[in-house]
Amino acid sequence: MPQPTDLLQGTLDLLILRTLALEPMHGWGIAQRIQQVSRNVFQIGQGSLYPALHRLEYRGWIQAEWRASDNNRKARYYSLTQTGRSQLEAEVESWDRLAGAVALVLAQAKEPA
Amino acid sequence: MMSELLSRFRFFLAGRDRSEVDEELQFHLDQQINTNLQSGMSPAEAERQAAIAFGGLQRTREQCREQYPRYWLETLLQDIRYSIRGFRRNPAFSLAVVVTLMLGIGSTTAVVSVIDRILFRSLPYGDSSRLVSVGLTAPIEPQEFVLGGSYYEWQDNQKPFVSLTSETGVEPCDLTENSPARLNCAHAEANFLSTLGVVPILGRNFAANEDRPNGPKVALLTYALWHSRYRSDPTVVGKSISIDGQTREIVGVLPASFEMPRLQAADVLLPQALDVAAQRRADPGRPLWAFGRLKPGVTPEQARAELEPLFQYSLRLAPAPFRKEVHLQVRSLRDRQFHEVHQAAWILLGLVAAVLLIACANVTSLMMARGASREKELAVRSALGAGRMRLLRQALTESLALSLAGGASGCLFALLLLRFFIFVAPGGMPFLTKAQIDLRILAFALATTVICAIFFGLIAGLRSATPQVLASRTRTASHQALLRRSLVIVQIAMSMVLLAGAALLARSFLNLQQQRLGMTAQNVVAATISLGPTSYPTQNRQMAFYLQLERSLRFGPGITSVAVCDSLPPGGNHHDTLYANIHLDGQPGQAFGTGGNVYWRWVTPEYFQTLQIPIIQGQGFSDSQLESTDRFVVLSQSLADRVFPAQNPIGQPLRLARGAPPDNDPIYTVVGVAANVKNGGLAAGEEPEYYRLRRHQPQDWDRGATIILKTTLPPGPVESWIRSQVAMLDPTLPVEITTLSERVDKMADQPRFEALLVSFFACMGLALAMVGLYGVITFLVVQRTQEIGVRMALGATRIAIVRLVLASAVRLIAPGVLLGLALALALSRFLSSLLFNLGPHDPLAFVSVTGLLAVVAILASLIPGASAARVDPIVALRCE
Repeated sequence: MPQPTDLLQGTLDLLILRTLALEPMHGWGIAQRIQQVSRNVFQIGQGSLYPALHRLEYRGWIQAEWRASDNNRKARYYSLTQTGRSQLEAEVESWDRLAGAVALVLAQAKEPA
Repeated sequence: MMSELLSRFRFFLAGRDRSEVDEELQFHLDQQINTNLQSGMSPAEAERQAAIAFGGLQRTREQCREQYPRYWLETLLQDIRYSIRGFRRNPAFSLAVVVTLMLGIGSTTAVVSVIDRILFRSLPYGDSSRLVSVGLTAPIEPQEFVLGGSYYEWQDNQKPFVSLTSETGVEPCDLTENSPARLNCAHAEANFLSTLGVVPILGRNFAANEDRPNGPKVALLTYALWHSRYRSDPTVVGKSISIDGQTREIVGVLPASFEMPRLQAADVLLPQALDVAAQRRADPGRPLWAFGRLKPGVTPEQARAELEPLFQYSLRLAPAPFRKEVHLQVRSLRDRQFHEVHQAAWILLGLVAAVLLIACANVTSLMMARGASREKELAVRSALGAGRMRLLRQALTESLALSLAGGASGCLFALLLLRFFIFVAPGGMPFLTKAQIDLRILAFALATTVICAIFFGLIAGLRSATPQVLASRTRTASHQALLRRSLVIVQIAMSMVLLAGAALLARSFLNLQQQRLGMTAQNVVAATISLGPTSYPTQNRQMAFYLQLERSLRFGPGITSVAVCDSLPPGGNHHDTLYANIHLDGQPGQAFGTGGNVYWRWVTPEYFQTLQIPIIQGQGFSDSQLESTDRFVVLSQSLADRVFPAQNPIGQPLRLARGAPPDNDPIYTVVGVAANVKNGGLAAGEEPEYYRLRRHQPQDWDRGATIILKTTLPPGPVESWIRSQVAMLDPTLPVEITTLSERVDKMADQPRFEALLVSFFACMGLALAMVGLYGVITFLVVQRTQEIGVRMALGATRIAIVRLVLASAVRLIAPGVLLGLALALALSRFLSSLLFNLGPHDPLAFVSVTGLLAVVAILASLIPGASAARVDPIVALRCE
C-alpha cells in the first residue's frame, strides 16, 4: 500500500476543494485531474482519496449524488456546497499567506551566502 | 454553520450505506482497469495494476467508515460487548472489583454526605459567609453571649454590621389546644430573620411593634410543624394558635431549610418581646445571643477591632473581679456551629480517604494481575491490527464499566451506611439526620468513580503488547510485580493507621465508661416535668403540685426513696455561680478574680440517699428542716475544703450571693458535707458544688423539677406507674421519664459513636488490605508453581514450602507494618482532642494493633502457602 501522501496535512482537502470548484466530479476523475494538473508531482494514493472525500462530505463542504457517468455507468459525483466554497476561499488565502512567508524566509536565508 | 450541523446530524442518524461505498470504490477500480486496457495491457495485468495503484481496498473501506461518528458508537458497543463477555468469563474477578469499589466509593460517599454540611456546604441563610456570632466569653459560658444591659448599646453604636440581631434561646412551651403537645419555642428579635437572610415561605416576618412586651401576639411556624400539625395548609396564615394558654396569630411559615443559628431544635418562632428600656437600665440584664451581618468587605477580625470601644464600655459595667476573664469574640457562624466537630469531620474524611485508597490499590492490583494473564490475548489483538489507541480505548471502556457498576452499587451502599450512621448516632447531632445523598453528593461519587476508572484503565491499557510475548512460553513482568508489592505495602500501612486510630478511640471510650461517678445510677428512675404557666401561674400552685406528686409516688410499689431536685449529675442543667459570690460574714472575699465556677442545685432530703452519695460530715438535710424558715445548705467536699480550710464546716453560717442587696443574700447554715460527684459531664472533672434544700416554701419552687425514685422493680412498670400518677393529677401534663443509667450512657454516646465509626472503617480497610495481600501471594504462588515442583522433587518438605511462601509474605508485611506504625505515630496526635485520659501514643493500643495486623496478615498468606504445599511435583513439572 502506498504511503498516504507526502502532502502537508490538510493539503489534500484543499486540492479536492479546488478541483471540485470547476465542476462536479467523481472520485476517479478527481484523482486523475489532480495528477494531470500537478504534472504528476503529487502522487496521491488513490485509496486515501476516499476517506478524505467522505470526511469533507460529513463536514458539509461537499455534497454527493449518483449520476450517470460519460460511459453511462452510475457514478458518485461530488460538488462544492456553499460552505465548501467559502471554506475554499479561506483555505486558499491561508495557503497563500503560508507559501509567501515560507518563500520570504527562504529568500532571506539565501542572501548572506 | 447550520448546513454543517444538519449534515452531521443526518450522517449520525443514517451513516453511509456499506454497499454504496463498495459501489463507489468498484467504479473507481473499473475506470482504472479500463484505462489500463486502453493502454494495451492484458485484462489480468490491467486488473493487477489497478489494484496496486489503488492500495488496500479493505483498508480504504474501513477508513471511509471511520469518518462518521457512528463508527465510534459501533466500536463503543463492540467494546462493551467484549468487556461483558470478559466479565462473564471471569465472574470472580469482576465481582471482586465491583465489591471493592462499592465498599470504597460507598463509604466515601456516605461520609462526605455527612461532613459536607459541616465543612463545605453553605449555611441555609442568605449570603451566609457574612454572618457572624458576636458576644462575650467568660469562664461561666465559654460560648459567646451578650447581656441585655449592654446589647442595645452595641446595637445602636456598632459600625461593622449591616444589622445586629439577637435571640433569647429556645424553651419548652405547651400547645394548649384540643390535642395538647410539648413544643420548643424559640424567641428572637424582630430583625432576626431579615439579618439572617431568611424569608418565610408563607406570610411575613415579625413587625417591629410585635416585638414589644404588650404588642400583638404572633407566631411563625417552622416547616416541620406546619407540615405535621397543619398538613401543609396553605391558608394557615391568619389562623390562631394557643401557646402556653395565650392565643397568637400565625403570621407565617418558615422555609424547610430553616434552622436556629445555634442549631437548637425549634417548632415555633416567637418575638422575644423584651422591654428594651428596662434592659438598658438593667445590670447585667438578660443573656442574649447576638448575630451580625457584616458589611461587605469587613472581616470578623476587623469587626472585632471596631467593636473594641463598645466592649470596653460593657466591661466597665461588669464587677471588677470579672473583667480579666471576660473577652470579646466575633467569629463566623460556621465556626460557632461546628467548632467542636470540625476536627472530627476532617479526621473522618482522612479515614475514609484511607479506605478508598486501600480499595483503589486492591482494584489496581487485580487489574494488573488480570492484565498479566491477558498479555497473550493483547498481543494477538495487536498483531491482528488493533492500534494502540484502540486497545487503550477498550481497556478504558472495560474499567469504566466496572467502575460505574462499583459506583452505582456504592451509592446504594452509601444509602444503607447513612441509615446505619443515623441509627447508631447519638441525638444532638442535628447535622447528621439532615445528611442525605443528593445530586451534589452523587456528582461527587460519579467524579470519584470516573477518576478511579481512568486510573485503572490506564494501568491496564498502557502495558505495551509486544509480539515477543506470543513466542515466549512463560514471562515475568518484574516491574509490574514490584508495583503490586508496593501497593500491598501501602495497603498494610494504611490499615495500620486505621486500626491504630480505632484502638485509641476504643481505649478512650473504655476509660470514659469506667469513670467513677461518685454516685450509683442503678435502679434510679428520673421523671422530668415542666408545668405550664397558665395552669400553674404561682409558685404556690407549683409547690403544691410537686409536693402532692411526691406524696403519691412515695408509696408506690417497690419505691424505696423519692427526692425532688431540679437537675442531675453527671451533666445537665445545674445552676452556676462564681466562687467569689460565696462569702462569710466578717471575712474578706476572694481577693482577685472570680475563683471559677461553682455548681448548685435544689434538692430534697432524700436526694443523697437515692443517688447513694455519702454524707461525709454532718447529717445532711432532715425532714424537720423542710418546715423551717431558716435556710440550709450541704457542700461538696471540694467546696467545703476550699471555703473552710482546716475547720469544721458544720453549723457555720454562709452567704451565697455577694453583691446582691442584703435581702437577697441571706444566711445559710451548713448542715453537711457530701462526697464529690462527677458533675461536669463524663469527661470533665468534679467541680465544687453545693445543694440548697427545697423547703415547703413557695419561694423555693418553680415550673420545672425532676423527681428521682430509687426502686426495686424494673424501670418499665415504674415508668407506667409514674405516668398514671402524674395523669391523675393533671392529664395534659407531659412527663419525660428515663433511668439514670440511660442518661449516663447517653453522655458517652458521642465517643461511642466515634469509636464505632472508626472501628468500622478500620475493619473494612483491614479486610480489603488482607484480600489484597492474599491476591498477591496467591499470584506469586501460581507464578512459582514450577519452581515449587522442582524444589519438592529435589526433596523440599511441605513445611519448607510453606516457609518459603511465608517468607515472601513477611517481606511485604514487615515493611507495611513499620511504615504504618511510623505514619500512625505521626498522625495520631490529631486525635488527641478526642481522647480521654489517654496519650496519642498509648503503647498498649499500638502494640495490640501491630500484633493483630501481623497475625491477620500471616493468616491471609497461610492460605496460599498451604495450597503451595499441596502442589504435586509431577503435575507442576508437566504443566509447562
